[in-house]
Amino acid sequence: MTPPAGDGIAQPGRILVVDDTAFNRQLLARLLRGIGHETVEAEDGQQALDRLRDPAAPPIDVILLDIVMPVMDGYETLAALARDPALRHLPVIVISGVDELDSVVRCLEMGAADYLPKTVDPAILQARIASSLARKRLHDAEREAVERQSATNDVLAIMSRSAFDLQVVLDAVVRAALRLCRADYGVAYTLDDGAFRVAASAGGTPELDAWEREHPIKPGRDSVVGRVALIGEPIRVEDVLADREYQATPGQEGSGYRSLVGVPIEQDGAITGVLALTRNEVRPFSDAETALAFGFAEQAAIGIANARLLATIERQRGQLARFLSPQVALLVSSPEGEALLAGHRREITAMFCDLRNFTTFSETAEPEEVLGFVRRYHASVGALVVEHEGTLEHFAGDGLMVFFNDPELQDDHAARAVRMAVAIRETFVAISEEWRRRGHVLQVGMGIATGYATMGRIGFEGRYDYGGIGNAIILASRLSSEAKAGEILISQRTFGALDGAVPAEDAGERQLKGFSRPMAAYRVTAGEAAAAAAAEAS
Amino acid sequence: MSGGPEAGGGSGPAIDAAAFANLLEMTGGDVEFVDDLVDTYLEEGVTLIDRLRTAASAGDGATDDLLRAAHSLKSSSLNVGALQLGELCRALEADARGGSVVEPGPRVDAIASGFDDVSAALLAEREERRTGG
Repeated sequence: MTPPAGDGIAQPGRILVVDDTAFNRQLLARLLRGIGHETVEAEDGQQALDRLRDPAAPPIDVILLDIVMPVMDGYETLAALARDPALRHLPVIVISGVDELDSVVRCLEMGAADYLPKTVDPAILQARIASSLARKRLHDAEREAVERQSATNDVLAIMSRSAFDLQVVLDAVVRAALRLCRADYGVAYTLDDGAFRVAASAGGTPELDAWEREHPIKPGRDSVVGRVALIGEPIRVEDVLADREYQATPGQEGSGYRSLVGVPIEQDGAITGVLALTRNEVRPFSDAETALAFGFAEQAAIGIANARLLATIERQRGQLARFLSPQVALLVSSPEGEALLAGHRREITAMFCDLRNFTTFSETAEPEEVLGFVRRYHASVGALVVEHEGTLEHFAGDGLMVFFNDPELQDDHAARAVRMAVAIRETFVAISEEWRRRGHVLQVGMGIATGYATMGRIGFEGRYDYGGIGNAIILASRLSSEAKAGEILISQRTFGALDGAVPAEDAGERQLKGFSRPMAAYRVTAGEAAAAAAAEAS
Repeated sequence: MSGGPEAGGGSGPAIDAAAFANLLEMTGGDVEFVDDLVDTYLEEGVTLIDRLRTAASAGDGATDDLLRAAHSLKSSSLNVGALQLGELCRALEADARGGSVVEPGPRVDAIASGFDDVSAALLAEREERRTGG
């Protein structure tokens, strides 16, 4: 095991001794261990390559290579190392006899870093190993820097692609932290209802992961996550089994993790999560690795902040939808919305619904009765507007205006408006019948017109409405006033656009306020009989 | 000390005292380890002599085997201080590398006899060290 980083040249390393002679391996290994290095032995080049390529074995820092060997000799081994991108950076020191200088030159040309005489001089051995180790460490540091940069870039790329998908961001953060901090298991916990729960994880066994997911962690000194939550600073534990306060869990016992690091995920100074990494061996996380984990925790924090922002926007949109029509609410919170709000010209169908005798009713009835009626009326008519996907422009005590084909485009806007009017009339039969029995006569009349209007934001700073200006809107309003109780009058263009989809008949030309010439009107006959009967009864 | 190929057993000490002392010093005076190392040398030496004999009797086709066995025995012999034996091995290895060895049998016999002398000397040294304190 590589002891923690010390100072420069005296750092111990893991040396692979490749020699077919047991005597030489034994002697070199002994000398190397004597100066603090760890050794691994191989009898020929093939064994050495197998060991170097074993992903489960700890990495080798320097190779001591004999030249003359059976199976695979030193030259073949050097060539194989040079071909392998994962191994070509490893310093190789060739061991050679004094009479083999030609071979040494050939080995150096093939990429060997250095050579050592076969009759070993411990001082020379120590110096050569130290210099090769320094070379290896420099290379490792460079590679690590590149790896860090690329992992950070990966996470940033994912964050910009899926800024509002917290799961994707946390998954990427945990994966990157696991890889760069050389951990065996990584978890991002988020605070939820007083406990830290697994939000994303990577690397662990299914059993460990399942256990962690089922057991949220509360702040406290008995766990690393709990301690981070308590203190708000990174916590490192060299070996959980040697930590007095740490309470071993079945998760720990099952997987056998030993070294841990936990760093806080903070939002505006409050701890909202913890990023934790574990190793299945006693190998403490270094300062550099802890700093790295901290950087990833910050990225997780940004991910969480983005997700919260999205939740706020969604909530606001939901609340807006209760005040505005859903179409307008969507418009307010969408990027295309701003352009539409600024104003645009479009063909629409407008519908006005007008309550007859409402003024008399509100003067004679008890205020509670009036409120009860209005609520019932709004609830049932409101549901019909939503059902037909109309845009509610206004909703007053005695009337409402709805338009179609804006902001959402609807090919059948005229038919939608007429069908909605018929449905309102049907609903109103039941409502008016009920009020008739209480002695109040309440009826609706409706007008519908199709034509171009300028739609957009109308009003002034602080109080804007989404609405329209145009002849069609005025015409619909006038037709609604003109309609008798229970009648639905539609304009010439609406009738034409209907194309027989809903039955209607000629209702003659009407002289309407604000229109210089008489306007043709049509009466919708669908469901008229029931409405007429109700009107008759009152 | 002469190191020619003809320098058979008897023309000098089988073990060079200074070289052997160097081995002890190298290991920090760890006598136990040196004993282990000598045991490894003796065991491996027997195997290497066998390989040399097999290769010598197999004729020209086995120069590679001859080379590798001579090479191995050479380096470990030099490290235990068996300088004469090391030289014999070096010469055989060099010829084998050259492609052909004339009459390898007698050369291997000389090496085997040298190895016997070295073995005896190493064991005698150990005995002497134990009894002499």
